Amino acid sequence: MKNRIFYNRIGFLTLLNKEIHRFMKVPVQTVLAPLIANILYMLIFGGMLQTREVGIEGISYLNFLVPGLATMGAIFASFQNPAFSMISQKFQNTIQDLNSYPISITEKILAFVFGGMFRGVLVGLLTYAATIFFVGYEVEYPLFFLLALTATSFVFASLGLIVGLALDNFEKMNFALAIIITPLTYLGGVFFEISKLPGILSAIKYINPIYPLVNVSRYAYIGVCEGNIVIHVILTMALVISAFLVAAHIFKKGVGIKTV
Amino acid sequence: MLSIKDVSMTYKKGNKEALKNINLKIEEGEFTALLGQNGAGKSTLINILAGNVKKTRGEVSIGGYSLDRNELETKKIIGIVPQETGYDFVFTVDEALKKQSGYFGIKDNKAYIDEVLEALYLTEKRSARIRDLSGGMRRRFLIAKALVHKPKILILDEPTAGVDIEMRHTLYDFLVKLHESGTTIILTTHYIEEAEKLCKRIVIIDGGKIIADEPKEELMDAFSRESIIEVSFEDELNLADFDFLSDYHPHIEDKTRLQLKASKKDLSKVFRQLSEKNMEFTNLVVERPKLEDVYLNIIKH
Repeated sequence: MKNRIFYNRIGFLTLLNKEIHRFMKVPVQTVLAPLIANILYMLIFGGMLQTREVGIEGISYLNFLVPGLATMGAIFASFQNPAFSMISQKFQNTIQDLNSYPISITEKILAFVFGGMFRGVLVGLLTYAATIFFVGYEVEYPLFFLLALTATSFVFASLGLIVGLALDNFEKMNFALAIIITPLTYLGGVFFEISKLPGILSAIKYINPIYPLVNVSRYAYIGVCEGNIVIHVILTMALVISAFLVAAHIFKKGVGIKTV
Repeated sequence: MLSIKDVSMTYKKGNKEALKNINLKIEEGEFTALLGQNGAGKSTLINILAGNVKKTRGEVSIGGYSLDRNELETKKIIGIVPQETGYDFVFTVDEALKKQSGYFGIKDNKAYIDEVLEALYLTEKRSARIRDLSGGMRRRFLIAKALVHKPKILILDEPTAGVDIEMRHTLYDFLVKLHESGTTIILTTHYIEEAEKLCKRIVIIDGGKIIADEPKEELMDAFSRESIIEVSFEDELNLADFDFLSDYHPHIEDKTRLQLKASKKDLSKVFRQLSEKNMEFTNLVVERPKLEDVYLNIIKH
């Protein structure tokens, strides 16, 4: 019997369950802390800038901010889950256990990515839920909003897995978060319209993967976004596929989990 | 059950050749010791079987399945107890064993987990977090973890390192019972007396090559032609008084004990010569060399 793409359903579900169980055991750290940070952003930025024009008729700054914050929450949570999981397994000396399970590589990758995705969507939805007190519960396209958060979380869970495989300690992971993910998030349109930035800073949107993700969420939430939604959706789908393929390639090569 | 054919492994880092053309066949129900110095290649070989290290060339087959073509099938057949006592900080013993069963596709494994925990004296600790267990308990937990899917082959990489003597003997008893129940066991250890006590076959690796592979008794017979005779006397001894035994390498230990080395066929000759000299001794012990002596003898050559 050849090794198959899907081989061990119970094994896959157990690994996925472990990834979810692990962060649910420490909800204050993994869910509540980012939620509180996002509520603070809402209070501070929203409170200070609520009269600011966002260039879209009938849309207040608070309405503009909600999908950005939900996306940002999803990005950080989904990235951190697999990255932390892989690095802590290296730290705990259990990373090579992964090689001993009769679970296919695709199942292993999906378990880590889905675990991160679940956490990302959870934080994104809770952020949205918390903002109901400020802006009400109305969402223009609720299912599309959920799909946008899911796609964002899938992309960043895949990136988190890549980083977790490639790096060997938490300092490096935090460094990657601080110098890559955080600036890209701030320059991705979470808090303001990128087109209003001067010169080169505005041009970053063309290479920033967060830009289409934020705009898809924003379109789903308020029905309008910066740029063309069709292009954003196509870019989002391309990001979902390419991030997964890169993670699969690195995992298959055994980076961080096998010795060659 | 396990076939290793022409397996070599060169680590890319440092271009170090850890295994050189290893050939080994282990049949069902064997209890084999894999011995060797640090860096000899034992752990590399085990890590290849576990899927942690990619071999450079050669063929490995486990339970009839090729490691290259049917890797997932081979995982179900082996259980690995690693040298490092890595453990998950978050989960309890029970949670970790349930998850381990799940990874192997077993949904409800409570009855067998109970059985394994009891056999390894861990029942009382099932609700404890693994990080709160003592070193010896963690070792036993790792054995339990390797057994939850009832592997046909159990590979133990120095399972008793750092374990106190009493617990070590508990583990020996457990392994003997496991072997009697039909599990094929491969054990690497630095405690040679452990291999001598438990294993029926000895494989010695040195410099990445197998330099000895024999049933234990045959190996010991082949490499232990001389017995050690120790004769104790009441008074202090003078080596010159034993010139008549010079063929047997006389040597004085602690002033009153004479040690000689003689082959089996010369034993009676030695006793006769001692009697003829009317030497009154207080004790006499003939010791067959231990596996440790045989091992050192092989390694040195």
